Amino acid sequence: MNGRNTKLFVLRNTPVLLFLVLLAAFGLMSDRFLTIGNFVNIVIQAAHIGIIAIGMTFVLLIGGIDLSVGANMYVVASVLGLFLKDLPLPVSFPLATLLGLAFGAVNGWIVTRLRVAAFITTLSTLFVGRGIALYFSGNKMVGFTPQILALGRASYFGVPSAIWAFAAVFAAAYVTLSQTTFGRQLYAVGADPDAAGKAGIDVRRIVFSVYCIAGVCAAIGGLVSLSQVAVASSTFGLQKEFPVIAATVLGGTSLFGGRGGVLGTVFGAVLIQTVENGLVMTNADPYLYPLVISVIIFIAVFVDSSRTSILERLERRQIRVERA
Amino acid sequence: MSTMQAIAPGGTAEASRRRRGLAVRLLMSEYLVPGVTVIYFLVMWALVPAIATTETLLDILAAMLPLLVVAIGQTFVLIVAGIDLSAPSILATASVVGASMMTGDGGFALGTGVPVLVGIVAFLAVGLLIGLLNGVCTTRLGMPPFIVTLTTMMFFGGFALFYTSALTEDGSSFGDLPASFVAIGQGTVVGVPYSLGVAGVVMLVAHLVLSRTVFGQWLYAIGRNPRAAAISGVPVRRAVLWAFAISGLCAGIASVLYTGRLETGTPVLGQRILLDIVGGAVIGGVSLFGGQGRVTWTLYGVLFLSVVDKGLQLLGLDLASVFAIKGLVILCAAVLDAVRHRLMLRG
Repeated sequence: MNGRNTKLFVLRNTPVLLFLVLLAAFGLMSDRFLTIGNFVNIVIQAAHIGIIAIGMTFVLLIGGIDLSVGANMYVVASVLGLFLKDLPLPVSFPLATLLGLAFGAVNGWIVTRLRVAAFITTLSTLFVGRGIALYFSGNKMVGFTPQILALGRASYFGVPSAIWAFAAVFAAAYVTLSQTTFGRQLYAVGADPDAAGKAGIDVRRIVFSVYCIAGVCAAIGGLVSLSQVAVASSTFGLQKEFPVIAATVLGGTSLFGGRGGVLGTVFGAVLIQTVENGLVMTNADPYLYPLVISVIIFIAVFVDSSRTSILERLERRQIRVERA
Repeated sequence: MSTMQAIAPGGTAEASRRRRGLAVRLLMSEYLVPGVTVIYFLVMWALVPAIATTETLLDILAAMLPLLVVAIGQTFVLIVAGIDLSAPSILATASVVGASMMTGDGGFALGTGVPVLVGIVAFLAVGLLIGLLNGVCTTRLGMPPFIVTLTTMMFFGGFALFYTSALTEDGSSFGDLPASFVAIGQGTVVGVPYSLGVAGVVMLVAHLVLSRTVFGQWLYAIGRNPRAAAISGVPVRRAVLWAFAISGLCAGIASVLYTGRLETGTPVLGQRILLDIVGGAVIGGVSLFGGQGRVTWTLYGVLFLSVVDKGLQLLGLDLASVFAIKGLVILCAAVLDAVRHRLMLRG
């Protein structure tokens, strides 16, 4: 392997290498870190961010953005805790997910019908949503029945429920993006909405559906998070949009649409959680967490954005020119 | 009697066209937002007469001025089709670093004899440096502004907390600031707050830079079409870099005003005002897609938000309702902007 090939190899696999370096570093600093049990823990903790980030991936793929996912989580949680409390979980969870869908549909409607920029649309629905949820909850902590906590602690076939949810959402999203017409149309819209429209794709329908998907994922992510903590304080879901977008972008999905996928997103969510877990395991000052995490996100995104151009240059065939 | 009958049959189309013309002209007018603000104010005056007292008006002004200064900085970045999400974190970091220089409780610059001066320089330097960092990362490293400022937002938001926890005993804020510094945020000269002077100067300078300098023209050109601007010889990278630097500097100046008003340097300063900053500019008519924006538009937007805020407070609404209504108001402004944009395209 010569120098050029090494460079190519490093650039192609930077996120994975970064992940391995972090694993090695934390593993050296704490002997509890590199264990199966701890890794399962990391995935369980990453599940809710990961699920919401999968929805966010759809939105980013068409070049949109959804800042309201955290507010959506809080609306779903407060309605579930206040009005759907007495229903059995198999009834209340689907209803809660439908509510998340409705929230997403409102975003999608405003973006496609009123043609307001996604950023400002979802920024305002963030505030409206939090306001409504705060109104419902009277600014107080919302409690939940013990069944929800039991669900969060349950395992099926030896796999914890949060990981089941994570895996199911991932599988559905992966199949949708890679195996269906809808998925292909979605990438087309992201790459060039005008061209996609001219090619006969119903751009509005795709954009609308994408916000609905983000809403559903936000609701499911909220439910997973609730099953782990069983209470929703007035800060539930607050500013969750930032780690969610970070996880998605970390996984290689472009903010400009058309490039990326949900496999990377899962990786991004797990990576962020690994860093946080590693910092806890090594007894780092909690005030340092956001600093370390933001630097790692920065490095990963920087490498990702610069490697595309470097890769193109390096992968170019070198044609030897014979001297006459 | 219904309106249909009131209009003579022959004049219906003509009259409705004229009426539509007026509605469109009103909608397209630059003075729409100030007009709506005045109407809102009059309605509120009828509901709660307390809104028109000098005290309340000064309150609105005091709350509005620092916000206006940050929003003006944001306007520069929005004009080049960027966004600066890190502004709230810049406010917080500048607040704690600046305050740590001059706090009576062991400030770093107490020995220099001019702690207030050093402190203010620290505020501005922190703002400018973070702004430059944002600018360098966007222009030199080719990363999207959204992600760059998202990470600097997370980083410096965390840094402000870390800095405060490491340097103060209770880990929450820097108090005991010199009286001459606090005066900048609170003091008045013959009834006029100092902060009005500061914000006025920032506004004037920003207005002149945008409307009367080549640099200002560059920014608009980049916002409309960066490739065309580059081909026409505009130093795109340098101009965008300085747009971010200006946004950072403005946040630093606003932090001086906020910190002076609160009399403490605190890492939670500005935690929830991102919506107000971006919303203020967008309500005024600054486009998120670049190329469009004016300092006066931002002023109208920020004024509107501040008056709405105070009105809702005086009505005695709780935090929840204020949140929801503000969100709706900003959404309405954005819808209106989208309608205007379409009308403009139709000519």
